[in-house]
Amino acid sequence: MFKYLLAREEDIPAGSAAIFFGFSSIIWFVVGTALGSFNAAKLAFPDFVTGIEMLSFGHMRQVHVLAVILGWISMAFAMAMMYITPALGNTKLWSEKLGIWNCFIWNIGLSVGLCGLWFGITSGREYSDMPFVIDVVIIGGLLIPLCLNVIMTIKTRRTQGIYTTNWFFGAATFMVIIVFAVGNSPEFFQLTGLTEAYLTWWFAHNVLGLWITPVAAAISYYIVPKVTGNPLYSHRIGHLHFWSVVVFYSTPAAHHIMSSPLPEWLKSFASVEGVLILVPAIAFVSNLLLTMTGKWNMFIENIEIKFTITGVLLAIPLNMQGGFQQTRAINWYIHGTGWIVAHAHLALLGFSTFLEAAAVYYGLQTLLRRKLYSLALANFHFWMLLIGFATYWISMTIAGLIQGAGKIYEVPYIDVVIAEHPYMIARWVGGTMVFLGNCVWMFNMWKTIRVGTVIPDGRLPHELAYER
Amino acid sequence: MAWKFDNPLQTLTTEDQNQAARDLWEGESLGGIKEDNNRLPQPVVTLLILTIITAFMITFPLWGQRPTAAIYEEYIALMDDPNVQAMSDEKAMKYIVNTVKSQGSKWAALQERHPLEMDDLRMIKDQIIELQNQSAYMQDYTVVGDKVVIANFEGNYRADGTRERHQPYWDKGYTIDIFFIVIFCVSVIIAVKRLPNYSFKPDHSKHH
Amino acid sequence: MAFREYKIGARMFGLAFGSSMFITLYMAAVDISSVSVSQIGLHRQLGFGRAGGFSYEDPFLRGWAKPTQVILAVDPKTGAAIDPVTAYVYEKDVPFPNGIRHPRILGDGPRELSEGRGRIGEADDAVGAVFLTHEVEVNGELVPYIENATATRGWIPAETLAKVPDNKRLQVGKGKIMFVREGCWWCHTLLPEQTQDWQYFGAPPMLGDFNGESPTAFGSDRKAPDLTHVGSRNSSREWMMIHFFNPRLVQPHSIMPRYDYLWGDKDASGNTIDYDGWRSAYNEYAAGKSIVPPDVPVPHKDSEARALIDFVLNLK
Repeated sequence: MFKYLLAREEDIPAGSAAIFFGFSSIIWFVVGTALGSFNAAKLAFPDFVTGIEMLSFGHMRQVHVLAVILGWISMAFAMAMMYITPALGNTKLWSEKLGIWNCFIWNIGLSVGLCGLWFGITSGREYSDMPFVIDVVIIGGLLIPLCLNVIMTIKTRRTQGIYTTNWFFGAATFMVIIVFAVGNSPEFFQLTGLTEAYLTWWFAHNVLGLWITPVAAAISYYIVPKVTGNPLYSHRIGHLHFWSVVVFYSTPAAHHIMSSPLPEWLKSFASVEGVLILVPAIAFVSNLLLTMTGKWNMFIENIEIKFTITGVLLAIPLNMQGGFQQTRAINWYIHGTGWIVAHAHLALLGFSTFLEAAAVYYGLQTLLRRKLYSLALANFHFWMLLIGFATYWISMTIAGLIQGAGKIYEVPYIDVVIAEHPYMIARWVGGTMVFLGNCVWMFNMWKTIRVGTVIPDGRLPHELAYER
Repeated sequence: MAWKFDNPLQTLTTEDQNQAARDLWEGESLGGIKEDNNRLPQPVVTLLILTIITAFMITFPLWGQRPTAAIYEEYIALMDDPNVQAMSDEKAMKYIVNTVKSQGSKWAALQERHPLEMDDLRMIKDQIIELQNQSAYMQDYTVVGDKVVIANFEGNYRADGTRERHQPYWDKGYTIDIFFIVIFCVSVIIAVKRLPNYSFKPDHSKHH
Repeated sequence: MAFREYKIGARMFGLAFGSSMFITLYMAAVDISSVSVSQIGLHRQLGFGRAGGFSYEDPFLRGWAKPTQVILAVDPKTGAAIDPVTAYVYEKDVPFPNGIRHPRILGDGPRELSEGRGRIGEADDAVGAVFLTHEVEVNGELVPYIENATATRGWIPAETLAKVPDNKRLQVGKGKIMFVREGCWWCHTLLPEQTQDWQYFGAPPMLGDFNGESPTAFGSDRKAPDLTHVGSRNSSREWMMIHFFNPRLVQPHSIMPRYDYLWGDKDASGNTIDYDGWRSAYNEYAAGKSIVPPDVPVPHKDSEARALIDFVLNLK
């Protein structure tokens, strides 16, 4: 990687930036889930590792969250953008060199920021925990170069139209810059009070709504038609999805703090818009599932489709929860409980991780021209992710309902802690399964580079049979 | 394709190429708004409408509300009744609840949801009577255990400038929503119906 | 090949995104910024100081350059006894909170009083200031305001601090930094909900209770009791001390981490704390081999544990 940093643009092989982003994202995924498993162990067994400031729960929790969001999810997105955008535009990436620098600064900046958080250097705002000096690096060094590369690649495309996936990529890379800049403005300009609280959740909502959700969906708009060979079911439903994401997903930020003293009109507005998140969700899920028509055997046989369609199917409970749990009538019961933690993991570990994993699996095979080393290991990874996630989600949902009951009946809090304990252990088991699965994935990908079968010119990875 | 500092968003397309594409685009016959020109699938439209209706119906605050002082006013008025005072607490409470129910209270549902005992009622009685003497808006006060306190919601303004202090069934947030959704639906319907037929298949097998 | 241009689409996108930002940012900001601060809001921001998270003056979150909240029983200028009053002492070069730097965020009523009667405009970083809060009735409504006692009464910060014994000082500003840095708010929320838990956790906050405070650290994932009013529920400094050192000494089922490392090297009487010895003694106690747990060392007055305990006890 380093030798390309100063190389001339022409000397850098096409796809290098995507490959580096792909492997970085896998490593961050392993790191992030290892941290998650460690944190869960501390919740289940509070004396697990004790007395060391750096390893206390309060120092580790935000490192896990941001390692997963900015390391795994966002870098996998960057990887997907750097090979899907040119492929759909029938062109090369606008600048491989910018892409490689982007990946380099991303890894360095994220490592520095996370070490700072680990050390306790935080802004004290959930999801925008990074201090503002790191936020500047994230905006200027990570997001703007990515946006530039993606939008310029779309602009220099050699096709007539722009495919659905690229609308989302172009729009989301642009919107996430705005989201970071506005969401962190309380730190830049010392905004305080309810404005600060509201903007914290404005950021947390929109980074999910305008970055993670649409980009993950866009990836599946590419992977499913590409691998199955079916054209996308409906371009028009794609439009409905895109416009409703922009309109309905960018507005309900206030529904995250329904129980705070924000102006009531803002909550009413956000709440209705929050339910309307079901519009893009229905459009997305129906479009993808209808695209699968006639090719459902691939859901069993093909590992990329297996990951993608699982992610799409998980979008159904995700949006059903997301749409309804934020209304005043339901939020009073489950707000601030483990239910929300389960929901957040359904979005990031369920829905989006499965879609990104498919993109990384497929992209790395295509770019490296190597067939995946082992299908068995990939399947093992899939089931470890799915069962680990399901264990986590079910246990935390139950724990959340217990907490909710404890909250409204106002029982002494310690009784809630005692009642939750078995679920905390289940959560740790689930998280550890995900972590172990990812270690297997890293091994599988490493062997793919080393000893994977070479894919001949003119063929695609999914057209070849597995050897193991 | 290097970076051009004086023109960062340069395009490869020349102006006459653009003009030709624009003419082609605008010259295409895509059918009018009322024609059946590749509209959204019917189930999707049905689901869209259903979602919008659901969104409004479910966002009203239906549960989770604390009892307001208003719902106990009728109970407290009955407490001074000599009939009631002669009875034991349990019987008196049952009598009060039944009497209020038979009179058909405006707050019947909330009263049923927040039952209390005679002792609870005694603790809040004086506070509620004092608020009545000040002719305060009783719905603005919440009963928390033995205390009657001002609720912490700050909702719509009343005509006299004071603020409603309970969760709103309708406020300007919902009104903004209606405008927002109507504009969205109109725009998307126009945009989607005006789209040309589209059959794009990504193919990058020759590259990389 | 000619390329289809997406001019209408791009403009539609700008319009759609722009209008949603207009509603969620502009309209919301206009409404929220019109809120007047409450007495509680003044108390919070003056106690916590300018920033509770990362800032230039305290980049490593060690609690540098933070105000001290004191209970004054004598007039620091004259030495005469006065009714005990809570004062917020900003020594030289401690940055003032946002309500002083930008009085507009106090809201109209409190701003006028604070600038007029309270003379907060005269507060000077290079000298520091001592602030008091008051509440007066204006047109039938109680309006809180800040008084800059350095300007109105000639109270010098250093002299004021010298007049206050250590047990009347609360290192609330430093404590807020500890609260944020140690991630207490990942489990303990600071937001009793509007509809629930009034009885158990106390009244939820009102609109003006946060003006000038940053970060608000509401917390989103409640794995432990809400702390907004914890100082009213439990005001025992000793209980807090034992609980922070090892929560399982006072609550066997607690899953809270131990914060013994906040004690630093020395305890209150200057002795080196023997952590290894303490832990092995505790392990014996936890295993049932000894009946009495080891004594928890009293934190040094400059330790981070002391500041955190001050902060928690001050949440009333």
